[in-house]
Amino acid sequence: MAEGSVIGAGTVVSGHVRGQGSLEILGRVEGDVSVTGNVVIGSAGRVRGNISGAELRISGQVQGDLRGTVAVFLEAGARVAGDISGPRVGIAPGALARGHVQTDGEPASSAARVPAAAARPAAPPARVATAPTPAKPEPKLAPAPIRVEAKAPAVPPAKFEAKAPLPPPPKLAPPKPEIRKVEPARAVPAPSQAEFTPVRPLKPEPRRPPPPVVPVLSKGTKAKKKKTQD
Amino acid sequence: MAGTVIGEGLTIEGDISGDEEIVIHGNLRGRLTTTDAVTVGGTAVVGADISGASLSVAGQVTGDVTASERVDIQAGGKLVGDIKAARFTIADGASFKGNVDMEV
Repeated sequence: MAEGSVIGAGTVVSGHVRGQGSLEILGRVEGDVSVTGNVVIGSAGRVRGNISGAELRISGQVQGDLRGTVAVFLEAGARVAGDISGPRVGIAPGALARGHVQTDGEPASSAARVPAAAARPAAPPARVATAPTPAKPEPKLAPAPIRVEAKAPAVPPAKFEAKAPLPPPPKLAPPKPEIRKVEPARAVPAPSQAEFTPVRPLKPEPRRPPPPVVPVLSKGTKAKKKKTQD
Repeated sequence: MAGTVIGEGLTIEGDISGDEEIVIHGNLRGRLTTTDAVTVGGTAVVGADISGASLSVAGQVTGDVTASERVDIQAGGKLVGDIKAARFTIADGASFKGNVDMEV
């Protein structure tokens, strides 16, 4: 019987509450709450102090930081003024939150890192392909080099890459080089390198997981495609 | 069910006040004030002055007790402190040290 603790609706605790097991707060607590189990704060519950526990489910008022090692949920009617952190954070419609919210160790970020790492090795070939081409257009004007790049070297390398090492994903390969062709074409070689390095890692990460992003890039690339085809 | 339950393994350092029944199986250091019954379970360790309608002690309590109705120390219970209550019982096997004021 001992495990669950309840602070009833008619009870006020002024002081720290800590220990093992779960805790349900229906009354008021003026002080920090730190338990190993779950914490439930009822709709009439009020806490002024930091709360830490495994899973926090808040329906009442909290003035203080919330830290859930498993999850933090703000139900409808909850009012929280303080920072919220946990691997999973849920804020239901009707809940009020004011403060910094941080989801630690989210699975999405780790998944994003893997494709990003895979994307980086793919990038260098594109640079290599583009590198020789800008040498020719340098003396010329900016718009002119775009056509030159697209016509001569850009198309063939894409085909070679797709045919030889990556037979199944040929569709993916061509758009990547196209994207990079656009970037180098805009900027001049020397200063452009500084600009490119930040731009490239940022772009491939979001683009690769969702392929439909291509249209965003395609403003320039489509025109080039048509021009090149023409 | 009791209004407030302090489970085993839970520690409260500070004051508890309210108007409902309070059951303690964990640890409390501070002060406990309620207008209803207070129950100190066998696993509880309380170092606090207690004020309530009635008090039942099966665990350890250190502090002065004021009860408007009664105080009962169960077998195995231990109470060190002064007691002020109209009725007071000490069960066989309980230990107690302190003064008793029954407001005669």
